[in-house]
Amino acid sequence: MNHPLTLWLGVIFTLAVLSYLVKDNALYRLAQKAAMGIGVGILAVQTWQQVLDPYWWTPIKTALTGGPASGLFWLLALIPGGLWYCQMSKKWFWVSQPVLGLFIGVAAGITFKTQILLILPQIGATLRPLNPWALPGGLPWDHFWENGNLWTVLDNAVFLLAFFTALFYFLFTIKADNRVTAGSRRFGRMMIMVALGAMFGNTAMTRMSFLIERMQFLFDFFAGLFQAK
Amino acid sequence: MKTLRILARFYHLNPRWLYLAFTIVLLIPLLVAIPKPEFKASRGPLGVYKVLDGCPPGGVILLDSSWDLGAKPESLSQLECFVNDLCRRKIKFVMFSTVFFGPIFAQDVIRPIAEASGYKYGEDWVDLGFLKPPNDNMSLLLDAFLRDIPGTRPVDFFGTPVKDIPIMRRVKTAKDFNMAMTISYAPDPAAWLGIGKSQHGMTVAFGSAAIMAPYYYAFLDSGQLSGLLAGNRGAYEYESLTGMYGLGSKAMMFFAFGLCFLIFAVLMGNLGFWASARLRSKS
Repeated sequence: MNHPLTLWLGVIFTLAVLSYLVKDNALYRLAQKAAMGIGVGILAVQTWQQVLDPYWWTPIKTALTGGPASGLFWLLALIPGGLWYCQMSKKWFWVSQPVLGLFIGVAAGITFKTQILLILPQIGATLRPLNPWALPGGLPWDHFWENGNLWTVLDNAVFLLAFFTALFYFLFTIKADNRVTAGSRRFGRMMIMVALGAMFGNTAMTRMSFLIERMQFLFDFFAGLFQAK
Repeated sequence: MKTLRILARFYHLNPRWLYLAFTIVLLIPLLVAIPKPEFKASRGPLGVYKVLDGCPPGGVILLDSSWDLGAKPESLSQLECFVNDLCRRKIKFVMFSTVFFGPIFAQDVIRPIAEASGYKYGEDWVDLGFLKPPNDNMSLLLDAFLRDIPGTRPVDFFGTPVKDIPIMRRVKTAKDFNMAMTISYAPDPAAWLGIGKSQHGMTVAFGSAAIMAPYYYAFLDSGQLSGLLAGNRGAYEYESLTGMYGLGSKAMMFFAFGLCFLIFAVLMGNLGFWASARLRSKS
């Protein structure tokens, strides 16, 4: 990946993309379109090289050249595969529906399973103790502040308060016309804002990482050029 | 009045000046040697470290390195620090990627570290190459892969049948791994925690982009996720645990400067907004 041509192309395209910061220009649009074209090209190669060739064409080819004849059964895959293309015709659209249903069924089945396996432990983890004496080690008076259980319970209390008020914020069937409900809703909104703030901070970190990497790349490239001279 | 006018200029500042100033600020750590910032490792990197503490030498880790140029700025440092630690502890690993160019990028990082640590390809580590998730559904891929690895991926990256690879004779299903680590821009929790953790009982850790980290902390809290490296900071914290400093610590220097500048810019922008409003009300 360190071939001079690769490096030069990297530098030119990085500068082309960064040039958008000054003004939208033809070089930037060229870089954008090149990236899209490369993406589509890679997808086509990847689909043939990693899926169609090893799992579909190779067994057929082997069967045709004297290998096990069972490989020819893969030709049948052309039928459901071809049905997908019926979506392009208004008249024959209905023919594509069985294969569409099959794919939706598989995707929905696996999503249903994984979401249950993912979310149920989350619900379990929401049930947190608020009684420090119920925790292992309790809360002895002689080690009141040093004992970690007090902080665990406080942490749990903040968590539960944020959890219930944030949920309540989205409960539109109850009117927030008194201090308790309006206050809870406002606190819930504040908690959501805190979470969004954390997300925004992390977004800045990620975007900065991308910029730093490109800056380093450009710096190393030009430093290398000057050193070579 | 004069101060208000100067401050109000920040509110109407052409953003291009900000880009230029930001670029100059980021150049400082490249030109001047500055000591590394010190901070304690948080529970995410500590979790990954502790899982490896419990893994015996010779144990096998499943490593999903699914990133390419698009996620390189954060995933590269994470993979580097994690593989450094694996090799230091003499833990073996089986790698694969769900990104087409993933194996090439990962091998650029892994090969030098593995060779320097005396790791032999095929015996101590293996690259199973690119695995395309059917219909781009990672859960479908993992469901099949973790039940029957040789059946799902019969050859490695170089086309060698897995039955001829020594390390692959030891690992057939999910239960043969001490841990699964996935490093990518946004690891799929439904697949890894739903299938890997809940269905197969695997210990799972993530290395993700910082932008995705707030989403994953909920899984860290619930104990579903055993560890999390969030962005370059996660890599740096992990490096501070192992004492093997690399790309993560290098990136933190830029972050220190960049974030200080961002805070300064936000403050000045707000002051400018306030000054601009005051000027309007006075006139």
